[in-house]
Amino acid sequence: MDDAVAAEIRTLAPRVDDLDYYELLCLPRDAPGREVRGAYHAASRRFHPDAHRRQETDLREASSVISKRVCEAYSVLRDPLRRKVYDELLEQGGDTRIPLGNIEEQVSRRNRVSRGGITAQGQQFYGRAIADMQREDWAAAARNLQTALAFEPSNADFQNRLEDAQARLSAQETR
Amino acid sequence: MADIAVGIDLGTSNSCVAVSQDGQARVIPNAYGESTIASVVHLDPEGCVSVGNDARAAAIRDPENTIVSAKRLIGRYFFSEEVAKARSICAYEIVEGDNHSIRVRIRDEVWSLPEVSAMLLRELAQTAASQLQSEVKRAVITVPAYFNDNQRQATVDAARIAGLEVLRVLNEPTAAALAYGFGRDLDQRLAIYDLGGGTFDVSVLDIRGEVFEVLATSGDTFLGGDDFDDRIIDLVADEFQAAEGINLRNDRAALEQLKFAAESAKNELSIQDETEIRLPGIIVGPDGEPRSIQRTLTADEFSSLVKDLVQRTFKVCDEALQRAGVVAQDLDGVILVGGPTRLPVIREAVRQYFQHEPKGDVDPDEVVALGAAIHAASLSEEEPAAFLLDVTPRTLQVGVAGGLAEPVIERNTPIPIEQTRVFTTLEDHQESVAVRVYQGESREAEENELLGEFEFSDFQTGPRSEVSIEVGFDIDADGILNVRAKDPRTGQEASSRMTLSSGLSEAEIQALLDRDVAARTRADTESPSNLSPPPLPVGSSAETDPDTPGELAEGESVDTIELAECEDVAGAEGFELGSGEEDLSSGVSSPDLEPGAQEVSLANDKEIVGVHEPSASDSREDEEDRS
Repeated sequence: MDDAVAAEIRTLAPRVDDLDYYELLCLPRDAPGREVRGAYHAASRRFHPDAHRRQETDLREASSVISKRVCEAYSVLRDPLRRKVYDELLEQGGDTRIPLGNIEEQVSRRNRVSRGGITAQGQQFYGRAIADMQREDWAAAARNLQTALAFEPSNADFQNRLEDAQARLSAQETR
Repeated sequence: MADIAVGIDLGTSNSCVAVSQDGQARVIPNAYGESTIASVVHLDPEGCVSVGNDARAAAIRDPENTIVSAKRLIGRYFFSEEVAKARSICAYEIVEGDNHSIRVRIRDEVWSLPEVSAMLLRELAQTAASQLQSEVKRAVITVPAYFNDNQRQATVDAARIAGLEVLRVLNEPTAAALAYGFGRDLDQRLAIYDLGGGTFDVSVLDIRGEVFEVLATSGDTFLGGDDFDDRIIDLVADEFQAAEGINLRNDRAALEQLKFAAESAKNELSIQDETEIRLPGIIVGPDGEPRSIQRTLTADEFSSLVKDLVQRTFKVCDEALQRAGVVAQDLDGVILVGGPTRLPVIREAVRQYFQHEPKGDVDPDEVVALGAAIHAASLSEEEPAAFLLDVTPRTLQVGVAGGLAEPVIERNTPIPIEQTRVFTTLEDHQESVAVRVYQGESREAEENELLGEFEFSDFQTGPRSEVSIEVGFDIDADGILNVRAKDPRTGQEASSRMTLSSGLSEAEIQALLDRDVAARTRADTESPSNLSPPPLPVGSSAETDPDTPGELAEGESVDTIELAECEDVAGAEGFELGSGEEDLSSGVSSPDLEPGAQEVSLANDKEIVGVHEPSASDSREDEEDRS
């Protein structure tokens, strides 16, 4: 293994708490969602314990500490709802890390929903929309999601799915 | 390094060993040229153990002394649903061991499940060693993605008993994806549909070059090819009962023959449209005359028998796709894994569901072992040739007041990962808490699977609002969980690997290693008369001296004593929450049992703790909400 990577790991591990998730994954704060996965892959190649299993104990442990934080960062930044909560936390000068259990609670509270819906009707139309999406019937999916949103207007999960369905519908129409 | 690392697919019905050398992965056949061996262990009257295809033949003539489908039992609690089911259908005797673990009793010998699996692993490692002319001491071993922590840990214990160092516990679908995509520089999103003998898994993966990222995984550890066999067994047995008034299920020998015939019929329907089930003289009637069965089973008839089982797999697929945030047509393909996926009824249903022809260049029986071998070789290199980024299959939770469970790490979270949540005591001046760990998706603690628990009392007591206890979950790259509890004020901490249901303490594993069970396994090439069984005490594994030093056993017994004391202090009416008591009482020994045995740590739990204490960031959020 490259000495530079070893040096980086030894420097990074003790100060991993100082870095926010963006810094850890080497991502700009305004990076589009589609870039998060690539950043996670790149960080995993450098820090995953498998890359260091033949190294000295201290280096192995250091890589494991960083790798666990990389997975945490990815768990937050890959999900638009969690990322939004985290971004606001950073703007308020909060901690660089937030337990995943806590962030999920905040996502639910903030959106006053649990994913998949909280009302019977919301769940029902959401379920139909998912089935429509499986059939690639984007028009029907969009209609059902709009109905689901009528019951749960602040459900960001429904909103995200709707935007996705509408984008696919217009892509289909242009084709 | 002198030894060669191999990949082992330890299956419910069949197992397979493979190696990857010079960039080429291949399955290692045994001395008879068989590329897979039956996952069956038989003990003969002379005390000789046979393993694999020979043992499978013995299952028909000597079912009581033949262990099949051990994988369905490994790492489970004796009181679990699966074990109750196994006890009703297995010809061999399943008994309860320490700590609600499972033991099998055969010819008055008592074995733990890891010991049984170790016999299979040792056989496979020996096959590899003799074919490769090299020592084999290290292996990547695969498990179903949906295996829980106890099942993984028990599998690692099995490997250790077999004298193997486990390089990695790898999820079977991930191994299959690696075998398919390794060295091909793909940029694809795939579903792996893995229907084994006893388990069903589906994983959605993104392959980008040498990085294999699992986006989501889902599964059912109660669904597999065995269930398809059972449908044929039921059909034939019911028809026979209607015609002859004899229930074949009540006759062990007849039932074993029928099981064998059902499995053969299923296998034949993988390659042809109909099959003949022939069981001449399967049973002797009350009149002393032998009865026979002869029946044609068509593929169509079989399809309708198993239709609901096939549909169940797609419910699991729905969940995995939804969790991965994709729909079927986002995928670039689907890979079929496991013997039952050779059935046309499954291939056709998969084609319709995923809207893709299943990848043809994959052998469903060998692909998992090949992937394990590739990973074993990769991990032996200075620089790994592939990165496998896997996830934890189910949510890990801590039991809290009111019979509820509080999630700490959600399912499909990438691993390795470490997470901490802060809890508090329920009562003022409470002296001990039980950290109870669950795996599952329900908010109700009892509806999840209990992985284990441990007592924590090394904290400063005080009014309940002032006590905080940090519970940390740490999942390593093998998917194995370590749990610790810590008092952040004093820094005092206690930790536990959730090993309760593996049923083997560190000391017991050491004792097994020292006992050299290998000596009694009959090798294919040796004649049985060469071997005489070493004098093994009956039930030795269950009788290990509790005072023997061993990190796990020691930690647990200390907790137990503390718990006995704290029960008087805290065991008051205030703790009527009692989620765990009902859970465990079925299998629990009586309270006046001697302390010091591990049972007590499960039996005596007065409900403990805690409610979630909002963290600093939570309260900030609350204020913001109000403003």
